[in-house]
This record gives sequence, C-alpha cells and structure tokens, in this order.
Amino acid sequence: MTARRIVVTSGKGGVGKTTTTANLGAALAQRGKRVILVDADIGLRNLDLVLGVEKRIVFDLVEVVEGRCQLRQALVRDKRFGENLAILPAAQTREKTAVTELQFAEVVTGLGDMCDYVLIDSPAGIEHGFRNAIAGAAEALVVTTPEVSAIRDADRVIGKLQERGLPMRLIVNRVRPEMVRTGEMMSVDDVCDILSAELVGIVPDDPEVIDTTNRGVPLVLDPAQRLGAIYIKIARRLEGEMIPFTQLGAGGFFGRIFEALRAG
Amino acid sequence: MIRAKAGGLEIIFSGRPFTDAYLELRERLEGAPDFYRGSNATVVLGEAPSADELHRLASTLSGAGIEWDGAYGLDSTVAPLPKRTPRTEAELSDSARSLVADFEGARKDLAGRRQRGERRSPPPLIAVAPRPAPPVEPASAVLYHRGTLRGGQSLANVGHIVIVGDVNPGAELVAGGDIVVFGALRGVAHAGAQGDRSARVYALVLEPTQLRIATTIAAGAERTGAPVPEEAFLAEAGDRIAIAPAGHPPHLKSTAEQL
Amino acid sequence: METQRVVSVPSEAAPQLEIHAPSAPVESQKKPKARGRTIVVTSGKGGVGKTTTTANLGIALASRGAKVVLVDADVGLRNLDLVLGLESRVRYHVLDVLEGKVSLADALVRDKRVQTLYLLAAAQDREKDDIATDAMIGLIEQLRGEFDYVLIDSPAGIEMGFKNAIAAADEAIVVCTPEVAAVRDVDRVVGLLGNRITVQLVVNRIRPALVRKGKMLSVDDVNAILRLPLLGVLGDAPDVIIATNRGEPVALDDASETGAAYRAIAARIAGEDVAAPQAAEPEGLLDKLGSFFGGRR
Repeated sequence: MTARRIVVTSGKGGVGKTTTTANLGAALAQRGKRVILVDADIGLRNLDLVLGVEKRIVFDLVEVVEGRCQLRQALVRDKRFGENLAILPAAQTREKTAVTELQFAEVVTGLGDMCDYVLIDSPAGIEHGFRNAIAGAAEALVVTTPEVSAIRDADRVIGKLQERGLPMRLIVNRVRPEMVRTGEMMSVDDVCDILSAELVGIVPDDPEVIDTTNRGVPLVLDPAQRLGAIYIKIARRLEGEMIPFTQLGAGGFFGRIFEALRAG
Repeated sequence: MIRAKAGGLEIIFSGRPFTDAYLELRERLEGAPDFYRGSNATVVLGEAPSADELHRLASTLSGAGIEWDGAYGLDSTVAPLPKRTPRTEAELSDSARSLVADFEGARKDLAGRRQRGERRSPPPLIAVAPRPAPPVEPASAVLYHRGTLRGGQSLANVGHIVIVGDVNPGAELVAGGDIVVFGALRGVAHAGAQGDRSARVYALVLEPTQLRIATTIAAGAERTGAPVPEEAFLAEAGDRIAIAPAGHPPHLKSTAEQL
Repeated sequence: METQRVVSVPSEAAPQLEIHAPSAPVESQKKPKARGRTIVVTSGKGGVGKTTTTANLGIALASRGAKVVLVDADVGLRNLDLVLGLESRVRYHVLDVLEGKVSLADALVRDKRVQTLYLLAAAQDREKDDIATDAMIGLIEQLRGEFDYVLIDSPAGIEMGFKNAIAAADEAIVVCTPEVAAVRDVDRVVGLLGNRITVQLVVNRIRPALVRKGKMLSVDDVNAILRLPLLGVLGDAPDVIIATNRGEPVALDDASETGAAYRAIAARIAGEDVAAPQAAEPEGLLDKLGSFFGGRR
C-alpha cells in the first residue's frame, strides 16, 4: 500500500471537518496528487454535497462492504480534477453500525492501493462512526475553532487518537483576527498551547464559504476565493514543505510558530 | 466485578492482575453455579492474558452457562498510558493483540445483532462477514404512501409506487414498476428496477437528485422556470432518460401485463 | 455471596440477569404521573447551535418563573455546563445517578442567576453506550414529575447518543442553519423522530444581507424542504460566541438582540402568541393539493 491515510476529525460537530476534507483533497489533487476522499458519516452524508457530486452517486461504502459492488465501481470521480480526485460516498439510508471497524479499515486499505492520499471525513462525536473513521487511518488532522467547547472536544479526541498511536496535527478554523485583537476570541497561540498540538493550518472565518459548500465548488477552483490559497498551503505543509503562517494580525504567534518551524 | 448492562453482563477484570480476577470470578460462579446461566457476557480486560488464561476463562464461563460474546479494554491502571504518549504494539502478546484489534467493532456488531434478535453470535475474534442485502419484499401491486418521505428513508416495491406528498433529497424510491409522486420528487427514484425499460417516473415537480430507469442512470439536471408536472422515460435508443411535460399521471399497468 | 435485591434490567434480547441497583431504575418501571413537558433539542448536524439554544431557552423559560431542568445527553463530549458557565460547580453527572452512586437531587446544579433553572450534566469520561435507553427514559420521567420543562440537549449525529436523547421526549426542537448540509441532516432527523414527537423548527445564524445577495439560503428555502412549524429565527451575532466562551448565555442580557429572540421563542413555547419575523411556513405541495391529502408528516 502506497497511500497516506489521514482521518480528518474534531469531536465537536460543525467546525469544518467536511469542508476541510473536501478543500484539502481538492488542493492536493490540483497539485498533482491522486486523492480519494472517504465519507465515514453513514446516514448523514455531506461530503458528496460539498464536493458537488451528489447526483452522480451510484454505489456507496455500505454496498462495497456488503459485497454488492466492487470498490472501484463505488468511486465517484470529480471531473474538474482530471483523474486526481474521487470520493467514496457514505450511504444515506443506513446507520453507522452497518459497517464494523475492521470492514472500514479493509476498505481504506483497498483504496490505499489506488492513490497517493486517502482522506477520511469523520463524523462528529466519538461513537461508532468516529471509531470506524480512525480505524483505517495512519495519521490524523484535528480541526477545531477557537471556542471553548470545540477545544474541549478536540482535547478528548486527541486523547483517543493518542491511545491508538495516531500522530496528529491541528487545523484551527474560523479564526476572526479582529476579535482576537480585542480579546473577544482566543488566539491560535492559546489554542495550540491548550491542546499541545502541532499546527498545520490556520483558516480565517469567511461567511461566504457556506455558499461555496452549498454550490459544491471547492475553494481552489474559484479564483475569487482567497481561502483556496490557504488550503494549498496546508497541502504543501502536509507534503513536508515548511511554509510560515500568514500573520493574521493577531501578533505574537507568528514569531512563535516560526520558532517551532525552525526547531523542525 | 459483574455488572448488568442492556446487552448482557459485563465482567470486569481490569484494575488488577488477571489471575486474581479470574480466581475471584471462579469462586463467585462456583458459589452460585446457576445464577447467571443463560446470560451473555463481555469481559473488560486489564492486563493482557496469555492464550492459556483465556482458555481457562472461556471454559469457566461456559461451565456456568454464560455465553462469552467478547473481550475488550486495556485498563490504564494496569498498563498506564501517559496522557500524550502513543501506545506501542509491543506491549501485547499475540493472543491479546488479536483481541484488541477489533474489540470495539466486534462488540458493537454483536450488540447490533442482539438488538435485531439474532441470539447466536459468531466467535468474536474473527472479522465479521458482510450481511447480504435484504431482499425487496414482495408486496401489493401498488405501494401507496401518504406523507413526505424524509432524507434517509426509502421505499421499495416489486410493483408500482405512488406517493402523495414530497420525496425529499436523500430519500430513495425503488420500484419494479412505475413511480408516481403527487408532490415534489427531489430524491432518487429508480423505476423498472427489475429490468422493465418501459417504466416511467411522474411527478408534479420533477427535480430529482438522480433518476434511474431499468439500468440507465441520469443525474438530475438544473431546472429553471415554474415547475409543471412531468414524466421521465427511456428515450428511443434506450440509453438516455427523457423528460416531457405530462398532462396526467401514467396509467399503471397491472403486474400481469408487465411481467 | 451476599444476597442482593433484584431489579429487572431492561433488554431487547437475551435472557437477562436481574441485578440490583438502588434508587432510580426501580421507579422507572412504574407508570409516572406526567407533569412537565419534555423537549429534546436536536439537529443531526453538529455546530448549528443545539447547546446554545438549549441553554438560552432554559434560561428564558426559567426567567418566566417556570421550573426548568436542562439535561446534557452528550456523554463524553459534554458542553452544556460550559455554555452555562456552571462547569466548576458540576460534581456529579447522569451516569452517577443512573448507577445509584448519588441521588438525583445531589447531582442537579442550581443556577444562581436564575433560581428555577437546574442542570444535570453529562459524564465527560464515559461513552454514550454506557447509558441504556430505558434507564434514560426512567430518568426523564422522574424529572418531569418535578419540573415544568425538561430540555434535553442532544448530541450531534444519529447514533446511540441521539437515540437516547429522543427516547423520552414528547416534543422536539430541531435547529437548522441556512446551509444545504444542515437542511439535509435535519430532514433525516425529522424522519427518525417519527410520528410520536411534535417537531418545531428554529433557524439559526441567518444573515439577511447575505440572503439578499443570494449568497445564503433564506428561511423559506430551508423550510421549503423541511416544512415544519417555525418556532423562531435567530441571527448570527458575534455576541453569542463571546457569551459562550464566558459562560454567560445571551438570554441573560437585556441588551442582546439574540437574547431577545430567545426570549420570544420561549414565550412561544409557553403558548403565547408572539409575532415572529417570518411566521408562516411556506405552502408545501401537499398543502396546495388541499387539506384533502392530510398533514405534512
């Protein structure tokens, strides 16, 4: 198996796991990597929506596991990225218990033979769906927002990832620099301190992102979206490049992160 | 050390060495040999046991009439995990490693089976075989449903399906015959699912995510303008699904005609 | 071996061992005298404002004089105590009560700002499967005997935690944000709530400016799919995030617009006829075909 298998998770719902998975996958694909996205949120599938491929789903993860189709048949290719981006959709009419951890892990292993990256979109929570999602992964990206409840949940999830020996890195989503400046929102520094996690991305809040997910347009495809560039940077950091974080006007953390990068 | 839970007994071995726990369990069971007879149990392990110890546990449990569903857990008090350090595989013996690998999945799967009334559980340590797809129930010629079909719900019928209400995105209809929706069809509709290429899909508002007729699949197209009642059917060549305004719903052929 | 009293352990399947546990579970088997309203706040999608809504509605209802208890059903990922600013006062949680370690009265945390508001916190270090559905039902039934409102904060998703949260509820408030994914998830949840539970909708985080620009779904767009009675519409003000981080729900703040909106929703729940900005739900096709075809569920 050649692919890197990364689960995108958070604990708290609604912090941007699916948006991150879709956009990061698109960014990697745009850079020439072969990427397969897996939606582990059986019963509440949204990854296909966000990627805009909902109408072309024929088979899903559960049908693969139940042997009603081949793995390849279930993949839906996003034609905007040539051969580089595909998704294995979740089932909508089933429940998460339709798939065991072992079965999920086997599916991800199978996908790993077909691409460079498998990104697994985890459901919210730490129940069966979450356990399935991490079962197939070798690394994790934890997404959080700078809010106490999100951080508390991320902390719980990080603990669970550690138990499984999964190396993880952090993406802080929906940062509002003006609120950080006035002290009404935690800084990225604070978040990293509390979670003791290595940072791989800082994504500012942008209310127009919802529109792009509604329309199924990955940010990297829309030149009007500056956030696309940020996901490209995250993709490059995943590939091992050392890219400094853009100062978001919160002062202080830029120097600190640079420090960390220099340390390796 | 023995707790009752919704799905059965939980026998807690964690928090101390296996031998101590095992001896206590054996004593309890010998003291009241039929008290737990007929129950199912899962064991929460602390220390990783050897194959031999597991064997003895299994026979003690079966001697007391307890069906052993599975084992899980590694208690942090016995094998302490510093909060942020990954646990290495090397700590486990071979038999314990295979136990740990899918304990969560197996446990949930078994709980699920029990809930569905399947009493007998397969041995817990092996990968679970996939369930075969449930067959479409032979039903009346027309399945008639009143009300909105919500996302995640699905209806299947060997004959026709008639919905009085909307079919929301995420909902699914599968019919051997025709599909008629007196409402908005926004989900996935599959007519002629058993191969009938003359099957049709009718809706007051035809805005499906996807349409399937026999073996042909079409993604829903963007619609503009005020909706009118429409019908979808296989075009002449049979490789496209065509849509045309429909004055009235289709005459539903009797199943005798169709088959 | 000591002799032990036996209480029937609820189960769906195998012959069950009867085990003893003191207090609550025994009562759960008796037919309760219904008193308070049991309302679950849920959504399917995470992060749309379930917990914030539960907290604020609880405060608003209690401020009107009702005796309210908030139950956090998000075992393992509890946040209701945080949002209320009560986390430092939580000593015991739901599982402590269900396992008989402590009485219900001891576990309830009383809010010092609004005297008739109580919190029953979730366990942080446990799993949702640790609670049996029947035990949850028994607990809620016990609570409704003592409170005017039992508000249950559901976890995200539709797994065991969600199922336990809705099991004892007669009513549901589904919270939806104006995005397609949220609408789809709420629709799924409504389908799962079944016919037993009365459902009403709260649309959260509407930004009228974006709606006008066509960059955000309108309430009508949302309800064109969901077709639920609309309980209220909330905007997307930054004061809510600040309030959450500080543990001071906006419903306590007379100057907050969002707080006022929550208070209006509470009034509506209590049966008052409060004018809403977008009161009417759009006519579904079922309605257009006439009442002949029946209700919207």
